[in-house]
Amino acid sequence: MIREPPPFFHRGPSPLARLTFFTLAAIALMIADHRFQALDRVRLSLTVLVHPLQQAAAMPSQALGRLADYFTLQDRLVRENAELKTKVLEQSSAAQEVRLLRAEQEKLRTLAAARSRYEGGILGEVLYTARNPFTRKIVVDRGVMEGVVAGMPVIDGTGVVGQVTSVGTFASEVTLVTEKDQSVPVMLLRNGLRAVAVGSGKDGSIDVPFMPVSADVVAGDVFVTSGIDQTYPSGLVVAQVTSVEKNAARVFARIAARPAAGVENHRFVMLLPLPAGAPARPEARAEEKKPARGSGKARRDPQKPNAPR
Amino acid sequence: MRPADLTPVARDVMKLPASAGLIFFSTLGAFLLSVLPWSGQWMLARPDFVLIVLLFWTMNEPRSIGQGMAFALGLLMDVSDSMLLGQHALAYVAAVFGAQVLRVRILSFPLPEQTLHLLGLTVAASLVTLALNLLLGADFPGFAYLVSPVVTALLWAPVNWLLYSGAVRRRRDSGAV
Repeated sequence: MIREPPPFFHRGPSPLARLTFFTLAAIALMIADHRFQALDRVRLSLTVLVHPLQQAAAMPSQALGRLADYFTLQDRLVRENAELKTKVLEQSSAAQEVRLLRAEQEKLRTLAAARSRYEGGILGEVLYTARNPFTRKIVVDRGVMEGVVAGMPVIDGTGVVGQVTSVGTFASEVTLVTEKDQSVPVMLLRNGLRAVAVGSGKDGSIDVPFMPVSADVVAGDVFVTSGIDQTYPSGLVVAQVTSVEKNAARVFARIAARPAAGVENHRFVMLLPLPAGAPARPEARAEEKKPARGSGKARRDPQKPNAPR
Repeated sequence: MRPADLTPVARDVMKLPASAGLIFFSTLGAFLLSVLPWSGQWMLARPDFVLIVLLFWTMNEPRSIGQGMAFALGLLMDVSDSMLLGQHALAYVAAVFGAQVLRVRILSFPLPEQTLHLLGLTVAASLVTLALNLLLGADFPGFAYLVSPVVTALLWAPVNWLLYSGAVRRRRDSGAV
């Protein structure tokens, strides 16, 4: 070989030796990260390094968006303004009713010594969709500094977006409800039927497995969170049923639903606090992290589809 | 005499090492390109800018850039793409190993044939990532995923034009060619 240097030029181990070393190192890292979640700290510190670069990269498109906002046509603004005004009028009567209800509820709460689950939410802006073709996640510009904790439910104006799965210093990752095996305990709004909505791993679709063929579900039904997992507050819209396939040959009906929240295309989201009085559940946390990594099939246990996490 | 007329070995002997600044800023630029807010189908077909720049420097500066750099950059990409730590690292290390072994052979071809060789390396890197993710239980992300290594390989010519001419200009200024 003409490229082999004379032995007095020291060039370190051969490429093959290096390849073996680095392959083993990479595999060890993957096992440590996947099995034991041991590297969260390492990841967190690397995020600090990566984050400013990501912000710098996101800047041009954000600036472009602001510029587009600036040059919006006058008549569109006027139209939007009129629409918003009618909407406010429509909603103000409802809002007054809500105020009354809330006052009543507060009284009841003081008796029950509980707090509203919707208070103390953190408003975050979506930085970008995680650039990873294998999972469905978004990155939000709120992190440890703002008090974000792993496990927090995330909503937007129309429904549940997902759940915080890993927290960085200045940003955190939200696993969307459409992520494969990401599950949310739900309830059918019409008749209170309980179920678990499970992400299908495809954009814009959620499955509701393990519903008997005889279950009273029709296309157009709305699933809201049932709240029995004590992670999601009850009553948040999760998905709307798009199709129900009932085949007598199968044990379960095949129910497909569409996420209610603009899961793939929102800009602002709300991170809701975890219940204050809930006991710490280290095993549950580990469980929660698994689907984010693309596994955790154990939760698709047909025996207990409603099992709280 | 044009640098292309030389054999790879002669080219190596004649040229000054590329400046550390050029290497650093080209890698930084590639990283910034890859963390642009890509989404949807575009994200699937997103070329791996970091990998192609890494391969360029492996081929042209084999003494300063190698598998260690590939591993470190891979870890950064894993963090920024929120993947399992080590996936990109393994893929990059494998591709860089291929580049190191085939370096003399690849550099003796003109650019189109070089691109074809590079396609092999980028496809190998993608297959490593794909295999790891399928092993971990992910779904096949769709065939658009296989567009990404093709686009990455097609970037070989632009990257050469951008970075190599810079290196040559530097050499000419210093009177080495």
